[in-house]
Amino acid sequence: MADRRKYVIPGDIVTSGPFRPEQNVILEGNDIISTAVGISEIYEDSVKVIPLTGKYLPKINDLVIGKVVSHTSLSWELDINSCYIGFLPAMDVFGRDFSTHADELSSKLKTGDLVAARIANFDRTRDPLITISDRDLGKIDDGILIKISPNKVPRLIGKKGSMIQMIEMATNAAVTIGQNGWVVVSCETPKGLSKAKKAIEMVNEKAHIANLTDLVKDMLDEKDES
Amino acid sequence: MTSVSVIDELKKAQILELLKQGKRIDGRTLDEPRKLKIETNAIPKANGSARVYLGDTEVICGVKIQPDRPFPDSGDKGLFICTAELLPLSHPTVETGPPQPPVIELARVTDRGIRESHMIDVSQLVIQKDKSVIGVFADVVVVDQDGNLFDACSYAATAALLTSKTPTWKMVDDSPSIVEGGEKQLPVNTIPVSVTMGKIGNYIVVDPNGDESESMDARVTITTDSNGNICALQKGGSDGFTQEEIIQCSELSVKVGAKIREQLKLAQQENR
Repeated sequence: MADRRKYVIPGDIVTSGPFRPEQNVILEGNDIISTAVGISEIYEDSVKVIPLTGKYLPKINDLVIGKVVSHTSLSWELDINSCYIGFLPAMDVFGRDFSTHADELSSKLKTGDLVAARIANFDRTRDPLITISDRDLGKIDDGILIKISPNKVPRLIGKKGSMIQMIEMATNAAVTIGQNGWVVVSCETPKGLSKAKKAIEMVNEKAHIANLTDLVKDMLDEKDES
Repeated sequence: MTSVSVIDELKKAQILELLKQGKRIDGRTLDEPRKLKIETNAIPKANGSARVYLGDTEVICGVKIQPDRPFPDSGDKGLFICTAELLPLSHPTVETGPPQPPVIELARVTDRGIRESHMIDVSQLVIQKDKSVIGVFADVVVVDQDGNLFDACSYAATAALLTSKTPTWKMVDDSPSIVEGGEKQLPVNTIPVSVTMGKIGNYIVVDPNGDESESMDARVTITTDSNGNICALQKGGSDGFTQEEIIQCSELSVKVGAKIREQLKLAQQENR
């Protein structure tokens, strides 16, 4: 097991042999080479590298949190913590009968607003197309935004959502996690809010530690007593 | 990516909500500046230098002292020029190229605060009247940006000037030549301290951080000298200040400035 996981940097040969290259590795001849700084994982027939850091790369159907940075007469531009800009067409919000004359985009979403959105389409050649016309999507009206590394989002969710459920249960907060590493937390009580924020930041900082769930649980419990 | 940074509305609302309770987003009181750390002599080869940390804002200042031709209308005075610029590394929105208006303002406000306080006694910086004078050039570079660059740049330039050593020159064959072993401190009259205050809603906050800077409606930078006299003032932002608010700001700038002046003096003494 110790041999199967190791820290790699770009150019390192992770392994050689008949493996299928997955995320952040390339196949060069018979060697599988890492393209990122991270931890390599070798499975029975495949190899991947879990990156330690990096920007968000959009994937179709991902839930993301976006921030409106600008708009034209036809669409909004969203900052989605990526090298790409999220593209939200006005038709998505106003419906098919959207008209550039009658409808003013800033009446629905203005610069600085946060939205929960989904990546509708993306093919790396153009900016990702974003939609907010679905249940639970749209403008976010309350809560605070916490920024974590996109690579640590799976850790924050935990196995089958165990980590995030634990945080939500302990603090009574509602947490919306964007795959792009932006997390919105809202809570009735300021105490719960700050505790949830602390827990999320703790996950972000200590994502590489093995028994993280216990650590977070201890932190959440400990605060309750005081 | 985007060339302007946009603060999210939720954070803006949160900042204002906290201010209503007399609190700030980073836990400071309204009239409390961030932690200031001054390291002098950051650039060993310069005549004087300082690296200043104001919270997460970090700036470096280097001072170069060399003979120069005086301005035609003031042949009996030396030169003092202070500049400021941003490194592209300091913030995602900063680009290379000619300085943008806010950066020009930063350089001018930093320069003005020190110049108008008459910190440097330029009349002592004359080698030969109308022919050759000593020029003092303080160049400030912003390395990391988290709001309130005005004050950080001003403190860095002041600290660098306070610890600067100038060579002496004498005229030989109509050109200035350095006198060996003639190094001495720059002639300093006073210690100017700039204090920047932001107005968010109806609240005045001292030393706004990055998030506060982006949500403030107006700002004012007031520079005071060692006697507590106001010697420079710059107002920015689209909102205005009432008369009472300006008075409140001036009093704050004297009060907060006095504490920071002590820190600058301490940095000067440690350097000796």
